Amino acid sequence: MFDTVEAFYRPDTVREALRLLQNGKNRARVVAGGTDLVVEGDRSIRVLIDITRAGLSYIRRKGKACVIGATTTMATIENSPAIRALAGGTLARAAATCGSVQIRNMATLGGNLANGSPAADTATPLLALDAEVVLADARGRRRIPLTEFYSGPRKTKTLIVEVAIPVPPRGARWSFQKLGRTEDDISLVNAAAGLQLDSKGRAKWVRIALGAVAPTPIRAVNAEKLLLGRKVDRSALAQVCDEVEREVRPITDVRASAEYRREMCRVLVRRALEECAAGTGCSL
Amino acid sequence: MKTMEVRLHVNGEPKQWTIAPGDLLLDVLRREGYFGVKRGCEAGECGACTVLVGGKPINSCLMFAAQAEGAEVLTIEGLAHGGKLDPLQEAFLDHGAVQCGFCTPAMILNAKALLNRNPHPSEDEVREALAGTFCRCTGFRKPVEAVLAAARGSGR
Repeated sequence: MFDTVEAFYRPDTVREALRLLQNGKNRARVVAGGTDLVVEGDRSIRVLIDITRAGLSYIRRKGKACVIGATTTMATIENSPAIRALAGGTLARAAATCGSVQIRNMATLGGNLANGSPAADTATPLLALDAEVVLADARGRRRIPLTEFYSGPRKTKTLIVEVAIPVPPRGARWSFQKLGRTEDDISLVNAAAGLQLDSKGRAKWVRIALGAVAPTPIRAVNAEKLLLGRKVDRSALAQVCDEVEREVRPITDVRASAEYRREMCRVLVRRALEECAAGTGCSL
Repeated sequence: MKTMEVRLHVNGEPKQWTIAPGDLLLDVLRREGYFGVKRGCEAGECGACTVLVGGKPINSCLMFAAQAEGAEVLTIEGLAHGGKLDPLQEAFLDHGAVQCGFCTPAMILNAKALLNRNPHPSEDEVREALAGTFCRCTGFRKPVEAVLAAARGSGR
């Protein structure tokens, strides 16, 4: 299938990877787990640059943030004690749904984001966690919020080297909800929520993120604002879900209709906020 | 066609092969005679091409052969030792867990990786380990029973 590929490189530094990427112009592609790139089968690729040996597989603490190297696999993330302990394990739970055991041993966090799929399962919890991505090019590295990373479906920017997750608000509760045909299938809709309550049980900090219901993974910022300062009761949840419905822009495709996806946004966001409000954490 | 060299271990034996830069591991393994590695969907869905790389199950249809440089690859051909089947292989036979056999190498390799890191898995853990391999004959009940029996050490 890839008989047009003329060279395969395995750089051991990011600097070398960037140099190869620049030399290859638009005919060079970065590969890590390969689980999207190979299936895509793009015949214009002449040069492949495997970044899995470039020192980007790690999970560590940097200052107060938790940073994850771009080539860290889903299997590593779902099994990492640090990630399982972070935000009720919401990111670990999402990583554990990214395909079969074999896929999760190959697929990487950076790849899940760089592929630019609106249904990327790790993007939703990362949006709820206010994650940032560290990008690298010939001029250096810069860090941008994940919300600025996406410009459209399958449109993403340059090489991701790291994902940084700031310390979540104290006492916040979390949920990740996914609807697919099976546990490890691609999402028809997914949702992540984070909720911090004040001493009177009112929402002090709210994050609501959704996947597969817009050109990119999104945060439902109007719905978040609506809940701020209010008690998380049945009527508040109904209004939040109405707002979510207005914020999403789902499409009809082979997997589900736009109408069905819109309805499921309500269901998943309600479940997510109920799980947060119940304070049971994110069940792994 | 441009070519390159790849050095790796397959079933414990050192190998050096000439490959094309865009060759997939599945194609190279079958070209070299490892026919236990099955060509199925070629899209990472069916799992029939599963091999262990560094002890972990992966879909060889999604991995470039060049990425296996320096790796330890285990295929079903490497599981028996000195003509003696692995206890998992015995258990699959004893439980009638093989029908057409196309998914069997992948099932057994996934189970092998599971038992290596978790010698006493729950039924749910076994089911998860086998879920990335599609069987269209017997279903999954007998393979699950076979893996649980192998884990108990009885093989029966």
